[in-house]
Amino acid sequence: MIPRVPIRDLSDFSIYYTPGVAAVSRAIHEKPDLVFEYTNRWNTIAIVTDGSRVLGLGNIGPEASLPVMEGKALIFKYLGAVDAFPHPIRVQDVEEFVNAVEMMEPAFGGINLEDISSPKCFEILERLRNRLEIPVWHDDQQGTAGVTYAALVNALHLTSRKLGSTRIVFFGSGAANLAAARLVIHAGCDPGDIFLVDTKGILHPERADMDQLLLKNRWKYDLAIRTNRERITGGLKEALKGADVLIAASQPDPTLVKPEWVASMNSDPIVFALANPVPEIWPEDATKAGAKIVATGRSDFANQVNNSLLFPAVFRGILDVRGRTVTDDMVVSAAEALAKFARDRGLREDYIIPTMEEWEVFPHVARVVGEKAVELNLARKKMSGSEIYEHALTMIKRARNSLKALVEAGLISAPPNGGN
Amino acid sequence: MALPSPVIREAQPKDIEQAADLVVRLKRLNEEFDSMLKVHSDAIDHARKYLQEAIQSQRSVVLVADAKGKIVGLVKGDLKDRPFYEPAIEGSIIEFYVLPEYRRRKLGDELINEAIVKLRKKGAQIITAEFPTQNMIAVNFYNKLGFRPMFGIYGKSVD
Repeated sequence: MIPRVPIRDLSDFSIYYTPGVAAVSRAIHEKPDLVFEYTNRWNTIAIVTDGSRVLGLGNIGPEASLPVMEGKALIFKYLGAVDAFPHPIRVQDVEEFVNAVEMMEPAFGGINLEDISSPKCFEILERLRNRLEIPVWHDDQQGTAGVTYAALVNALHLTSRKLGSTRIVFFGSGAANLAAARLVIHAGCDPGDIFLVDTKGILHPERADMDQLLLKNRWKYDLAIRTNRERITGGLKEALKGADVLIAASQPDPTLVKPEWVASMNSDPIVFALANPVPEIWPEDATKAGAKIVATGRSDFANQVNNSLLFPAVFRGILDVRGRTVTDDMVVSAAEALAKFARDRGLREDYIIPTMEEWEVFPHVARVVGEKAVELNLARKKMSGSEIYEHALTMIKRARNSLKALVEAGLISAPPNGGN
Repeated sequence: MALPSPVIREAQPKDIEQAADLVVRLKRLNEEFDSMLKVHSDAIDHARKYLQEAIQSQRSVVLVADAKGKIVGLVKGDLKDRPFYEPAIEGSIIEFYVLPEYRRRKLGDELINEAIVKLRKKGAQIITAEFPTQNMIAVNFYNKLGFRPMFGIYGKSVD
């Protein structure tokens, strides 16, 4: 965060602070939504976590999560020009979490939930989305789902497939894949053609642990009822026979997906092995086994499915129009804009999604998210698509230039030994 | 793909295999609520015998929901004498299960209501239902049907 007003001498504070500021407070008291115009609330979000599932480190608690939240805030600033406030909270259960975030709402234009264990992250997101009048986002759900969907759209395009007639196997049933499956269904995929595989095998409506899921993970339970029309049983091996797409988001272990299983898939199969830091099958092995398109979560391979392609832009767009929520429709639109950007540049088997270097994509994504919010009457500020685009572009450029200027002025010091 | 509409009817010996599976599913669900309800490994054999006897008994009602030959729901109620209280005959619903796919379509209500009709014909003057105390889904379900909490069973392990 950098002040937006100059401080020439101390007398300026009689304007920025008391007595001058009282008039602003009175105006906001009369009309609370003015807070989005008269303060920086519109561009300030909180990155909230309970530290219950931090990176691959597990439940390390709120204090230990803070460096991760700070890193996330830096990405928000650099890629999206969003002022993100790292905010771990010490809470035990879902209700406490939801109450705490609700109490924080007046200070923020949006909430980014981070590193919360599954399945409680679903409950928290669902309740906060219903209760808050600002957008609430959980990157491990919507972010991952959105970027995965964007990559999927282009992979289907390259292999002449359509979402309506494609068999998709999801391997792993954590937050990422449950959210991705729900988004793909929301976007129009027939749930009967989707197969979810967890450690106990393929989900289906009569699996022996269904009632356990009902009590402990109703999101997975709901998907189990709707998916797997043919009632195939078994594990990943059985699920992959004749499948068009594999989306793996399970455990970092390159032996989990066997090459012979990939070979048993439909022709020109699509394989996303998204576990970090090690994919469920090495891209080279997947390609040798016949995979036409391979994506991973890593930047050192082609086709990196990375949340950072989406969340800074989604927030940029929704904050610009002072949105009240982020809906699944907006996530789908954002993903489609991301996919279109890559298509316009020319799709290849090793380029189905923009890379992190192509920051020009962010204003495009911001634009469709803002437009959708205005269209759905979920925006406090009505702006046209081109206005949102121009504003997002200006904001992002300014953020990058400010950080650069601070380094050049020596106010941000260079890393020791030149960073090496 | 629309699911076939189930028909509620009295259970027959040919239903026992499928119905026993539902009884065991119910017991496994109960197990989720309390470690003192841990399901025995021979539960399925016991369930078959138990249903066989119940189907033949004049003091039990066993109904199934039949969806084109597939048993998707089950209710079992027993008559009990109440020598110390009035009214003297109770119809007690002790097994009740619907497969996940067939839930949220009022099949449970129909099964219970039909069981109540049958138990009444056999002389029941009040109807009770038993389930684990912690099962809030069951609590809400029976509350909606006009039941109220009447008796509690408390347990502790003394192993």
